[in-house]
Amino acid sequence: MKRLTILTVAAGLLATTALAQEKRVTIASWGGSYQEAQSKALFQPAAANTGIEVKEESYGGMSDVRLQVSSGQVTLDIVASGSGSAARAAAEGLLEELDYSIIDVSDFYPGLYTDHCVGGDVFSTVYAWNTETYGADGPQSWADFWDVEKFPGSRAYRGTVAGALEPALMADGVAPEDVYDVLGSEEGIERALNKIRELRPHIAVFWTSGAQHAQLMKDGEVDMTTGWNGRFDNAAKDGAQVAYSFNQALLDYDCFAIPKGAPNKDTAMAFLAEISKPEYQDDLPTYITYGPTNKAAYETGVIDAEVAAGLPSSPENAALQLPVSLAWYAEWETTAAEMYQEMLTE
Amino acid sequence: MWQAAGPATGKEKDRVLSTANTQALPISVSHVTKTYGAVHALDDVSLEIESGEFLTLLGPSGSGKTTLLMVLAGFTRPDHGSLKFGDREVIRTPPHLRDVGMTFQSYALFPHMSVAGNVGYPLRLRNVPKAEIAERVAGALETVQLGGFGERRIDQLSGGQRQRVAVARAIVFEPRILLMDEPLSALDKKLRDQMQIELRSLHEKLGMTTVYVTHDQREALTMSDRIAVVNHGRIMQLATPRDLYEKPANRFVADFIGDSTFLPVTRRGQQIVFEDQPLNHAAPAPEAPSLLLMARPERIHLLTGTPQERMNTFEAVAQQVIYQGDSYLLNAQLHNGEIMSLRGAVRQGTVDGLPSEGDRIRLGLAPEDTVIIDGRES
Amino acid sequence: MQAADTPQRSYETPVPSGMNAAGLRRDARLERLKLFGLSSPALLLVLVILVIPVGWLFYVSFIGANGQFSLENYERMITRKSYARIFVTTFQVSLLTTGLCILIGYPLAYFLSQLPSRLASLCLITVLLPFWTSLLVRTYAWLVLLQKRGLVNDWGISLGLWEEPIKMVHNMTGTLIGMVHIMLPFLILPLYSTMKSINRDYMNAAANLGASPRRAFWNVFFPLSTPGLFAGSLMVFILCLGFFVTPAVLGGGRVIMVSMQIVSNIELFVNWGAASALGVVLLVLTMAILWIASRFLRLDQIAGGGH
Repeated sequence: MKRLTILTVAAGLLATTALAQEKRVTIASWGGSYQEAQSKALFQPAAANTGIEVKEESYGGMSDVRLQVSSGQVTLDIVASGSGSAARAAAEGLLEELDYSIIDVSDFYPGLYTDHCVGGDVFSTVYAWNTETYGADGPQSWADFWDVEKFPGSRAYRGTVAGALEPALMADGVAPEDVYDVLGSEEGIERALNKIRELRPHIAVFWTSGAQHAQLMKDGEVDMTTGWNGRFDNAAKDGAQVAYSFNQALLDYDCFAIPKGAPNKDTAMAFLAEISKPEYQDDLPTYITYGPTNKAAYETGVIDAEVAAGLPSSPENAALQLPVSLAWYAEWETTAAEMYQEMLTE
Repeated sequence: MWQAAGPATGKEKDRVLSTANTQALPISVSHVTKTYGAVHALDDVSLEIESGEFLTLLGPSGSGKTTLLMVLAGFTRPDHGSLKFGDREVIRTPPHLRDVGMTFQSYALFPHMSVAGNVGYPLRLRNVPKAEIAERVAGALETVQLGGFGERRIDQLSGGQRQRVAVARAIVFEPRILLMDEPLSALDKKLRDQMQIELRSLHEKLGMTTVYVTHDQREALTMSDRIAVVNHGRIMQLATPRDLYEKPANRFVADFIGDSTFLPVTRRGQQIVFEDQPLNHAAPAPEAPSLLLMARPERIHLLTGTPQERMNTFEAVAQQVIYQGDSYLLNAQLHNGEIMSLRGAVRQGTVDGLPSEGDRIRLGLAPEDTVIIDGRES
Repeated sequence: MQAADTPQRSYETPVPSGMNAAGLRRDARLERLKLFGLSSPALLLVLVILVIPVGWLFYVSFIGANGQFSLENYERMITRKSYARIFVTTFQVSLLTTGLCILIGYPLAYFLSQLPSRLASLCLITVLLPFWTSLLVRTYAWLVLLQKRGLVNDWGISLGLWEEPIKMVHNMTGTLIGMVHIMLPFLILPLYSTMKSINRDYMNAAANLGASPRRAFWNVFFPLSTPGLFAGSLMVFILCLGFFVTPAVLGGGRVIMVSMQIVSNIELFVNWGAASALGVVLLVLTMAILWIASRFLRLDQIAGGGH
């Protein structure tokens, strides 16, 4: 009798321990207001609803994952990443394949999830201008961005290749749908670079971070820049004289992935399934002006029409934009980056 | 380069440094005052230094002797006063235009230049042709007995050698005035004694007007034509070594130079008396409110028989005898409790025959050694 | 000498020759061991924090994208012109910064060294003040001051000194201003202590020998201050070579230095080799400069001695 009780208690203890072990994930993102928004809209509510204990960390990007995987000391279960670097990490074999029988992506925009990374939010690389300099009638296309006679003034441009070549080709007259075809050769890349060389005398700053391009606009240091839409909204909220357009913008997304050999892989999969649901995604725009990747999030009634109209992933805005091709980045980014570096150091 | 010329002969040396002999300049300091806040570093100093004279400024540290030298060199700007080298007023002339040679207590040899580089530096500044520089540097180094040391680095030299290089550098451009700031203070005693003689004979050879600063009274007595004893920014006495020693003007000078016993004396009519005992003295007593008898220990006799005529005698009780190698010191207590010290040369038997403690003895002092001085401190 | 030694030895013979010898030898050996024991943690630390990582850096730089031994990381630096340009920029920025630091720092250090000690230490604190604030804060402060609508342009224009905003930042000018500001203390400190140790008598002696203040300075003070100048300049130069934050923030993406390229290579390439190779080349070039500098210094001493 006594013996049986002990056994039962022991079994019970074992079960709860096992349960507790399964119910824990470590998530790494990029910190700051971006991670704060993710935490408030996605991680905390999902943790409360599933009972999965969430430990949040900030990290330096896929190079950290590379180090963890190559040394066999993986501590992260879920990482937030840009779509491009996730694609390259996947090609390197650093990421677990996602199980879309668990994660429901049936209402996702096509192309906002891959075998290894499921979209978390949608953002745009846009051109923004100083409304004091140009009034409301700012540039309406990349050709305008390049037109220094119609829109005299200094420019800022991205200091790395990501999202830097596509605008140049569009300014050079390439139709958005042909951009990645043209970029599919070194000659095409060179054509884009030559277009940037043309604008170079007017480019005062090559920016390297989102905070930087927002600040450049806020301080009036440049009259026009490329950049991420959410940052400009925040700058405008702070009183900056800045506006931007989605026309010809680059539609891109951030996603969540599971590093190869993650200690709580199955829990991580379940957690990703949870935060991909519309009822979480619809909260994200409350904290940052990045759109949900799940279309169904627009139908929950949380995102009102006015907010929706301002999000990169709203159907109207999305239609104006060129979705970033992960396939192209996976194949060409390294080469293009080196060529871009050549151009920058000339 | 200069080495190729070979060691300079005596004649060459004379030629190289000949001009200095005839052109030494007198120095005239008048009413120079320098104050630092409330402190008078120099208090209305006036001083005439003759052409070619070796004059020593002697005084304790902080007396103002170095300040006076710095005024002569131009490194210290006095509050007021006049300074003339010959007929030329130089009180406002910057140091590099004064054309005086100087050696520093620290030697101040440039560590980044060789010996020849240091000695040749003043000549290079004067745009002397290269060949002549080499010749004169060699001559100057010969003069200080450092021929062949030109290529040495400064840190390869001993203290005495550095001192000689400093002298060579100070004389190579044939200044008519040479200033020396405690040049031997860093050397050990034996070397110091040797250098004193060398510097003195160098002065005799070159004949430039030399102002020498020291706090060592023996050094001052050995080397100087005249000595100016300095204290509290004032010149206490300016005299030849012998006069300074034998006829100090006041108690400070007497005390600072040599050892002495001072006995309080009073004037009674024409006479000077000590404890009712009239004293015979050769030099007249100064007119002063208080007077002292100064007795140099080596001038006091231990009397055994009848004293010489006119010799002043003092009854005393012998105390301890201090043996000092070449001499001994016998302390004796007078009736009034004053201690009188007697110094005698140690010769065969002298120490053994000395009185022992408690013996009653008689001390004698000749009238020419009975010096009555102004008893005030300064 | 020999002759003097021989009789001495004979005096020693009455004393038993082996007296305590073994014990004394053991004491000496023990003392040496203790000394080694005391220094071994430091040696170990040097091994762990210096030798091993640098060795690893060299090793990794020869590993290609496929994980095999390869020279591709070095080949890339030769075939792609941008790398040579980045090294040129790096050395250019470092040299200019060092030169400007000397131009500004030398007179400042000289001034400080001539002040009374108490005043000098007060002024030194102001020189050192930048050390106590974060590098990033100082760099951004320059951005705020120098940008198009920054304080300097605002004042300049409102005072009528110039009409159009001057471009002082997001270029080489801004980078140099920021770097000189940060590096100045590294030059001034060794220079100041060297100058402070120059005996005043040297300058007095030079003046006494007939040198005008200007000649005394160039003939005596300046040569004697060169060890400090050299140490400070070398420190500034070496630190500049590896600088990241200031050129990244104030260079506006147009002044690209090696450290910045190392960072982008880590992000760009799928292995550490590409970044490591850059580090290796920078390290080797820096060592080469140090070696040349040390030879130059020794030569300088000899030349100075034989002046």
